Amino acid sequence: MEAFIQPGFWIFVLALAGIYGIFSLGLQIQYGVGGIMNFGHVGMMAVSGYTIAVLVIKYEWSFWWAALAGVILAAFLGALLGLTTLRLSGDYFAIASIAFAEIVRYWILNTDNVTGGTQGTLAIPSPNGFASYTDKPDVILTWISDRLYPIIGDEASRDLSMVLIVWPFFGLFIWLSSRLQKTSWARVLRATREDDDVPRSLGKNVFRFRLQTLIIGSVFGGLAGVFWSVQFALLAPEDFLRIVTFYGWMILILAGATRVKGLFVAAIFFGFLYGATRFLEFWPLSLLSSPERAYLRVFLIGLVIVLLMVKRPQGLFGKRQEMILE
Amino acid sequence: METTKTLNSSVLDVRNISVSFGGVKPVQDVSFTIKENSFTSVIGPNGAGKTSLFNLLSGMNKVSSGEIIFMGEAIHSIHAHKIAQKGLVRTFQGAKVIRRLTVAENLMMAVKGNPGDNLLGFFNPRARKSFEVKAREEAMRRLDQVGLTKFADEYAGILSGGQRKLLDLSRALMADPKMLLLDEPFAGVNPTLVEKLLTVLAALRKEQSITFLLIEHDLETVMNISDRVIVMADGKIIADGLPKSIYENDLVIDAYLGSRRKDS
Ligand SMILES: Nc1ncnc2c1ncn2[C@@H]1O[C@H](COP(=O)(O)OP(=O)(O)O)[C@@H](O)[C@H]1O
Ligand SMILES: [Mg+2]
Repeated sequence: MEAFIQPGFWIFVLALAGIYGIFSLGLQIQYGVGGIMNFGHVGMMAVSGYTIAVLVIKYEWSFWWAALAGVILAAFLGALLGLTTLRLSGDYFAIASIAFAEIVRYWILNTDNVTGGTQGTLAIPSPNGFASYTDKPDVILTWISDRLYPIIGDEASRDLSMVLIVWPFFGLFIWLSSRLQKTSWARVLRATREDDDVPRSLGKNVFRFRLQTLIIGSVFGGLAGVFWSVQFALLAPEDFLRIVTFYGWMILILAGATRVKGLFVAAIFFGFLYGATRFLEFWPLSLLSSPERAYLRVFLIGLVIVLLMVKRPQGLFGKRQEMILE
Repeated sequence: METTKTLNSSVLDVRNISVSFGGVKPVQDVSFTIKENSFTSVIGPNGAGKTSLFNLLSGMNKVSSGEIIFMGEAIHSIHAHKIAQKGLVRTFQGAKVIRRLTVAENLMMAVKGNPGDNLLGFFNPRARKSFEVKAREEAMRRLDQVGLTKFADEYAGILSGGQRKLLDLSRALMADPKMLLLDEPFAGVNPTLVEKLLTVLAALRKEQSITFLLIEHDLETVMNISDRVIVMADGKIIADGLPKSIYENDLVIDAYLGSRRKDS
């Protein structure tokens, strides 16, 4: 129970929540505006994170160029996913997208000599024998930490520096996305969410709009991967399980899929749920083994979301009227 | 070569088109030519294949055989959105509105050449905004025309069936059509408004030289406005001529009008 009141833990959770928030921005524009159900979003984050680790460790790129390459590759894979499967109807695309993320993960698992396989990025073969890739961002994190010292009168943790980087970026990305969602481009996209025939009959290339949306969402997934890779400083295939995609969906559902600004608060709310459910170790739950409690945790997060959906199907910030129009 | 010769007189040239879905053949060997700025009505009983014909003309379904020439260009194998961009615009039977866009947004999304529809337009907010202002003005004018002004900023999902028809029609007009395909635009609209709409269509024909092809269930409604009526039954054209000649055509009376005329 002690850790529950430890600020350090909650600062870590806050940093993580911000990264998940950026991650869910991708799902928000895809689903909330374009009606595209992507259940393979974690694949984009994995691709970008691993691209960074491999390019820096194995090929000795600078972190910044590697990060750029990671986001571009995520966008490129979004395009590839779209070109091959986006013509499928909604449900089939959702299934194909899960398969896509699993392919990415299996590829990472089984390409040991590039990705380090099961052992993660620590096992990436490096010319100088030094399997770390965060030296460049660490300089910035340390710089922030040094500035904070006189203010908080204590050594600021790496997590705190991350919070101070992640959340402003999260805010900036929300602002950009909400600007984009006010354009006539987004208006056409909203139309495609309900019906293909109307926009087609008015000369709009529905496929192009959907593909663009999938790519933009993948860029957000890739950006989340950049922050994730810095936050954890090492990556392993099991960081990118399907559950990560569903965490992103939870944040989106909490916010209300059409409310991009709601993600800011929803991410904090999710972080609290995520963090708080770690401490379910009092009696009678202490009778369960720790892996069993891990399941319970996912179950409880799910339960809170279900209850919320029943009480407020439009999410914390959505308009109810939007949900009931026939 | 042949197509350029017919360009002056005809907007739409339909040549022996058919479509089949498995064993069903909703359109069979249909041919006709539509003159520029004319007003043609297609009538026929339910299931005659009228909507299926529109689906072919608008590219939403592809012909199994035959050709469709629009303004001198073969369009039977190009994408539906490209056909609409060329100025052949359709509406839907039963009217389709985007329920979670406002009424004004439904109209504004239809405007052609919007720089904001392109992702690059995101970086040119000034061009985007001035276009939006103009689009909104035009939308408000169209809404006024059909009496929906007070719903401009409501979700289209709250409109009644009849109001949705009006919105559907106005939206098609926003897309700057050369030729309009209207699928039963008057069904479920009250008679006073039908009269008003007929006046609006006649004015559009005159002022914007739009060519009309319109599906209607009831011949009487379109008797006066049409200069030609095509009658379909079982996927085929069974009569084609002046409204008056159709009214007196025995085949048509048998297939379709018989009972109705006895009533009145
Ligand atoms: N996509 C399709 N698949 C199978 N049958 C279809 C399809 N579209 C239309 N039909 C059939 O074509 C026939 C004509 O329908 P339709 O064109 O809607 O007639 P109308 O508009 O004249 O009332 C109907 O029997 C309908 O079931
Ligand atoms: Mg019909």
